[in-house]
Order: sequence, then C-alpha cells, then structure tokens
Amino acid sequence: MQLSEQELHRSLREIDDQHQEGMATMPDDIRTLHSELVASGPPRWLDRPGVGAIALGALMVPLAALWSASTVSAAAGDAAIAAFAESVELAAVQAYLAAAKSGKVTTKGLLDAATMFAGHHQEHAAAFASAAGAAATNKPNPKLLQAIGGQIAGAANEQAIITIAFDLENAAAATYMFALGVLTSTAALQLTASILPVEAQHAVVLGQVLGKAGKDLVAPFQTADAAVDPTKFPI
Amino acid sequence: MSRISNDTLRRELLATDEQHRSSMNGLRSLIGRLFESTADDDTKAGIAVGFDRRSLLRVGGTTILGATILAACGSDSKSISTTTTGASGATTPASATTTAGTTTVGTTGAISMDITILRTASSIEELAVAAYQTAIDSGLVKNAAVGDAAKLFQAQHREHSALFQSLTKQAGGVPFTTANPAILAAIKPAIAALKDEAGVIALALQLEIVAAQTYQSNVGAFGDLKLNAAIMSVGGIEARHAAILASVLGMPAVPKAFQVTDKAAAPGTGV
Repeated sequence: MQLSEQELHRSLREIDDQHQEGMATMPDDIRTLHSELVASGPPRWLDRPGVGAIALGALMVPLAALWSASTVSAAAGDAAIAAFAESVELAAVQAYLAAAKSGKVTTKGLLDAATMFAGHHQEHAAAFASAAGAAATNKPNPKLLQAIGGQIAGAANEQAIITIAFDLENAAAATYMFALGVLTSTAALQLTASILPVEAQHAVVLGQVLGKAGKDLVAPFQTADAAVDPTKFPI
Repeated sequence: MSRISNDTLRRELLATDEQHRSSMNGLRSLIGRLFESTADDDTKAGIAVGFDRRSLLRVGGTTILGATILAACGSDSKSISTTTTGASGATTPASATTTAGTTTVGTTGAISMDITILRTASSIEELAVAAYQTAIDSGLVKNAAVGDAAKLFQAQHREHSALFQSLTKQAGGVPFTTANPAILAAIKPAIAALKDEAGVIALALQLEIVAAQTYQSNVGAFGDLKLNAAIMSVGGIEARHAAILASVLGMPAVPKAFQVTDKAAAPGTGV
C-alpha cells in the first residue's frame, strides 16, 4: 500500500472540500430548477421507443415495451422522472451502506471509495428531490433496493459486491442517458447531464478494481441499454 | 487569445518537468498495477479514486495545460459565437424537418445553434484523434497499456466525430472535419514541450475534460431535443476516458459529485 491511512483520509477530506465547494451554489440552482420543473410542459417519455434491457446483476428485464405509452403513467413528467431518479439514487446510497455493513468488503480503500460514492449519490438524490418537488418520495426505490439487497446478501465475497456496485453504477448512467432523451426542461436536462458522467466515472473506478480491460470500462458510446425501468421498479 | 504567454507556459512546463521525471518510475509502477491487474484491491482502489495527494503536485503541469485550453475556448465560454454563418453555417430553412428519427423543430436560429454545437463537437473530436496520434507517434509513450488505451480512445473519438458529422448533415449543416484550430493553436506549445509519458497523459486528460464538459454544457441548448441524448452519449464516454487517465496519473478519477463546465468550449469556438 503506497499511502498511509492518514494521507488517505487527508485526501478524502480534500475531495470532500471540493464537493462542498461544488455544492455552494446548489441550493440556488435547485430552487431555480424546481421552479422551472413546476412550469415544465407535458411528459415526453411516452413518445420514446423502448431501448435494450436493464442489467442489474442477474436482473435482466427487456425494455422493448417498458417505456411505452401503456406502461407509463400519463401523469409522468419531468418531476416524475426526477422523483424516479431520486429513488434510484437513494437505493444506491442504501446499497453502499449495506455493502459496507455486510462484512464482505474488507479492503479499507474500497470502503472509503464506497463511502465517497454513497455521499455522491446522496447529493444526487437531494438534487433530484428538489427537482421533483411534491413528487419526491424521499425513499429509496423499494424494488430496486430489494433486488440489490438480495444480491448483496447472496454475494460470496468482496469481488462479487464490487461487481454489483459496478452494474448499479452503469445502470444509473444508462438510466440518465435515457432520461436525457425524454426530459423537457433545460434545468432538468442540465442537472441530469451533470450527474450521468459522475455515475460513469464511479463505474470506471469499480471496473478498474475488478481488473476489467479498457474496452469493458468504456464503450464507444454511452447507451440506455442497462437503464433501470420505472415500471418494473416503481417508486 | 491565451491568458498566459507562451514563454510563461514554457517556463512553468520546464519547472514541472523535473517533477514529471522524478515521478516516472512511480507512474510506470502505477500503470502496471492498474492495467495489469496485479495489485491487491486496496492498492488499486487507492489509485483509482486518486487518493495520492502527492501525485497532484507531480502533475502540476496539467493545471497549466488546462488554463491554456480554457483560454482557447474563450473566457466567455457561455457566450455564443456567430462564426458559423457563411460557408459553414446552417442552410436549412426554418421549417425543416424530420430526418432519420430526428425531429428537428424550431426556428432557423435554433437549427443554426444545433449545427454550431455539432460542428464544434466534431472539431474537438478530430482534435482528440490528432492528439492521440501525436502521442502514439511521439515515442514518449513507453508503457504498452497506456499505448493500448491511447489507441482505444482514439478509435472512439473517431466514431464520435463521425456521429457529430452525421448529425450536422442531418441538421442541414456542413460537417466540420478537421481538428479545432483554435484549441490546437493554444496547445501547440504544450505539445512541443512534452518530454515524457506523464506529460502526454496529462494533456490527453485535459482534452478529455474539455470534451466532457463541453458536451454537458451544450445540453439544454439544442433546438432538437433529441440531440441532448446524442451529445451525452459521447459526453459520458469522455468522462470515462478522463477517469481512466486521471487514475493513471494518481489524480481523483471522480473529482466532484457533479461534473462542472468551467472548462467547456463555447459553441463556435474555432469553427
């Protein structure tokens, strides 16, 4: 190990300072976002064809019809999408906590990374909750949490836990990729666009720990193929 | 116009060169452990998340390069260039149209903006392709894994450029097919001053960051809403490239909870 724990914790504090700095304008930004979302137009995700499949570990759900008009509430709009995103983020927070508590993750560096990523997801959840306004549930997505919780409980070892987190981060990035095609308000689009790259980078970090090859860490294009489906994982 | 003079840039790059050289042994070791999967998970996690504070100092040149690129992108990066009129500008009438699954709506101004953004995007991708080629040809990249990554990323940038050029055509514009001249001019002195692998990776990292932030900053600005997803299908990948390169340098792979756009290139920069 190259670094002492003291150095590592100091670096974590510095990274956290950067986060806080980045968050400085977030309350104002979120208020602006919320006001724009409340005034945003009709839902557009009914217009979009289904794409690919979601892949959360063993959960493979065909998306061909999942985003169709018949399966998504007509009341869904940008606020509903934001509420769904909030629930996914909170599920991710809980997943990292469950992973940490499972006793299966024993590597200190991984626990620190999990803590940092959970913190990111908490911030993302807060931003999406503000965007969702009254639609926000402030609760983790129950079915997603159940599914991931089961996977974590059944994970044989640390590597299996990291694989679950890797899939989850890629699913989050894919979910926001899809959301970018259906959101309408500029503020919601920009918020989502500021979060998608971070989920993608989480996935890279976890994939590197898993020893994945470059082509498995980064495809030519980010797709929505692994998106979490709101009809299978309702809030 | 650059915010810092070339002399200043060269002086500061020379000052950091010693740091780069002294870090090379450690860098190769880091790369080896990261890409060849021989490290224990604890070490790899530390590398990947970029906890090595000292590495931030070792690659201080990246800050300089970042400032140079940012200057090329325009200090008023949120402003909209009008340089896309004329030969490169939109020729699509206001009423157009629907193309291959892309519904284009809005005014001539909105379409023109879409084209400007897409042309800027392809110019950045072409610049990345050229930059990686320079890196590959330079002889400075000694580590095979880094060389492989450079080739992979270059190939992906080529695909990204093709996408943006295709979308430009669909929007009724003339694709921009060469490296962004403004940013290229800004980084030429830095390229000339490159002396080692770490410097090459640092420059690549800055270009990836500029690309990722540029595409994020464009979201919400399109007349054709479907282009928001299209540009982020690339932006998300540039962010992954950046994370990989940053981790190789021992820098934070995920620097913030939200990606920012302070290094984004303004639409129309150099095109």
